[in-house]
Amino acid sequence: MITTSPAVVVEGAWKRFGSTDVVRDLSFDVRPGELLGFLGPNGAGKTTTMRMILDIIRPDRGAISVFGGAPGVTHQERVGYLPEDRGLYRDVPILDTLTYFGALRGLSSAEARRRATRLLTEVGLGDALKKKAAELSRGMHQKAQLIATILNEPDLLIVDEPFQGLDPVNADMLKGVLIAQRDRGAAVVMSTHDMGDAQVLCDRILLIDRGARLLYGTVAEVRAMFRDGAVVVAGRDIATDPAAYRSVAHISVHDGSLRFLLHEDATARDLFRELAASDATVERFAEEAPDLAEIFIRTVAGAAAPPGQAGPNGSHGTTGALGTTGVAR
Amino acid sequence: MNRAGGSGFLRLVTLVARRDYLRTVRRRGFVLGTLLLPLSIAFFFLVSSVVSTSGLANDADPASVTLIVVDESPVALTADLVPTLELVDRVTADARLADGSASEYYLVPDTWPASPRVVRVSPPATGTGLESAQRQVVQQQLLEAVLRDALMDGSDLPADSQDRVLIPLRLEALTTEGEAVSDLSLVASFLIPFAFTLLFVMSIFITSGYLLQSVTEEKENRVVEIVLSSVPSLPLMAGKILGLGAAGLTQVLVWLLTALIALPLAADRLGGMGDLDLNPTVVVLAVVYFVLGYLAFGGIFAAIGALAPGNREAQQYSGFFGFFAVIPLVFSGLLLSDPTSPIVWVLALVPLTAPATMLQVVSLSETIPWAMVAASLISLVLFVVVATIASSRIFRATLLLYGVRPGMRQLTDAVLDRR
Repeated sequence: MITTSPAVVVEGAWKRFGSTDVVRDLSFDVRPGELLGFLGPNGAGKTTTMRMILDIIRPDRGAISVFGGAPGVTHQERVGYLPEDRGLYRDVPILDTLTYFGALRGLSSAEARRRATRLLTEVGLGDALKKKAAELSRGMHQKAQLIATILNEPDLLIVDEPFQGLDPVNADMLKGVLIAQRDRGAAVVMSTHDMGDAQVLCDRILLIDRGARLLYGTVAEVRAMFRDGAVVVAGRDIATDPAAYRSVAHISVHDGSLRFLLHEDATARDLFRELAASDATVERFAEEAPDLAEIFIRTVAGAAAPPGQAGPNGSHGTTGALGTTGVAR
Repeated sequence: MNRAGGSGFLRLVTLVARRDYLRTVRRRGFVLGTLLLPLSIAFFFLVSSVVSTSGLANDADPASVTLIVVDESPVALTADLVPTLELVDRVTADARLADGSASEYYLVPDTWPASPRVVRVSPPATGTGLESAQRQVVQQQLLEAVLRDALMDGSDLPADSQDRVLIPLRLEALTTEGEAVSDLSLVASFLIPFAFTLLFVMSIFITSGYLLQSVTEEKENRVVEIVLSSVPSLPLMAGKILGLGAAGLTQVLVWLLTALIALPLAADRLGGMGDLDLNPTVVVLAVVYFVLGYLAFGGIFAAIGALAPGNREAQQYSGFFGFFAVIPLVFSGLLLSDPTSPIVWVLALVPLTAPATMLQVVSLSETIPWAMVAASLISLVLFVVVATIASSRIFRATLLLYGVRPGMRQLTDAVLDRR
């Protein structure tokens, strides 16, 4: 259980541009040593929220604290930010650009240069230190940009679509960098559209749409919320007639395994007891939970549906360990 | 963790200024632009030297100009006063023209001095080039002296009076304290303010070009959000304005240095302008107005760079504001004749016209109008502070809108820091 004080606390933040509420009553926190996946469709308000944490823009209502204080200048040395719309000075050697960025983040120029040299070498750009950004490939650009973000060893790292446009090899390398930052104790906020990445990398996720929070919790907790009462079982001598079980409503075969759909009042524990009491040999027993990609589609599609059917205004609101969540199911 | 650098406002300003300065002065365009004036002056001296060697300049020296005169007048002319005077008969003179040993001669007819008419005779094909014109001006002056001398030869005027007829006066200008005032100081008092104002306007346009380039480049290279998340917009903008202003000043200083070295060398050709004597108070005020003027325009141009969708549009918009710097040059006559007129006061109080106006006012006025100086300085300083803060806020607000032109409400929100 993580008990350290949160690096970021967002409480009831609202932001309106023109006549549109881009962020609506958004609350969450980010703790040191965790990687928070910030998920949502395009235009959901992710970038606006990240900019509010960075004090580039300010919320109209609500409160945001960073390291226990107001966001702003005093924390800029402890923060690393990789925006979605990013670049490097095209006609400047990347080592010089990274040194400048490091110095802006509070490092001495000599230290920034030393760290940039080491990190660029570590990601395979040791031969390109003096090359201008215009001479680099897209993958090299991405690596250099991420290094610029972590050069000052930030306590809070905010990355917006970090793997966009990367080949699998470079993407894996950069994932390793992010995990290393988290393991070092940094609080990491990562916006991504890749649910596979989010499921594998993130400790917790925050899913928002149209500025409002839809899902928030650990990956396991969120997936558990979407269990639909199905259990997948593999083994030998397992009865396939639903009538053989009091807890089962329907049985189907999927990829060599049996999928048991339980009665509404039954639990997986009930089925497990019944199987244990039978002659069956159970080799695998797992509650079925959809992956994040499916949850994302189901949730966002539900949220986008007309009010009265589903979505933030018409979804099933639950209050529990995960906080207030509007879950469309 | 080594964070030896810290994040103080001054450190960030210095960091940004140093980086933008070094980046700019290392550009090929900057180096070429800076060296263009010294190279032009060097070229001028080279050409001038070649021309001088060819003898063109020497022809204008009175001691080397030959004066051929055919004297048919009843008054006998003599060569006592002008050693290069050749008195010949008409046949000889025509022969000299025919064989090319002379380009012209002067006929003093028998009607002189009853009639002032004197004839210059030259071959039909003789042109009127610069060389001939210079020579003939000197010949006329020499001939006038010879004719005056001849008229006074038989007069009863005392010798001193005869000298005064030949040379009526030698003007000597003195201050009330008895110090000599050279003609050059008078020239300098007009030329220097005007040249300084021109230099100021040029510097503004050149430096604003760097500023616009720097701001639009950060938009085009998409590094602005990374930079803005690292450093607050005010020290960022202040650093840019100072760094690029320093680059502009470097260029101007190189030019001034070139001028200071070149002027004494050119003293002969420019009539001794190497002996300029400037009032130190005026020089200090000129530098103050120069710096404040740049900062005022720098704030405006930085905001334009942030607002304009691209570098080309930014240059166009900045040209409009650069016009303000030129307006005082149009009123130079008024500044000279009535430096405390209401129009001059208005020009002195409007921040964008104040620098060029006051540069001229403090140089041209017999006594420095300190009330006007104080009022214009207060106006300028306030404007510089407001413009820098406003431009930094606009920069932060609008650079996030890539390629989108913000409306008036967004601009107002930006200036008032409503994020």
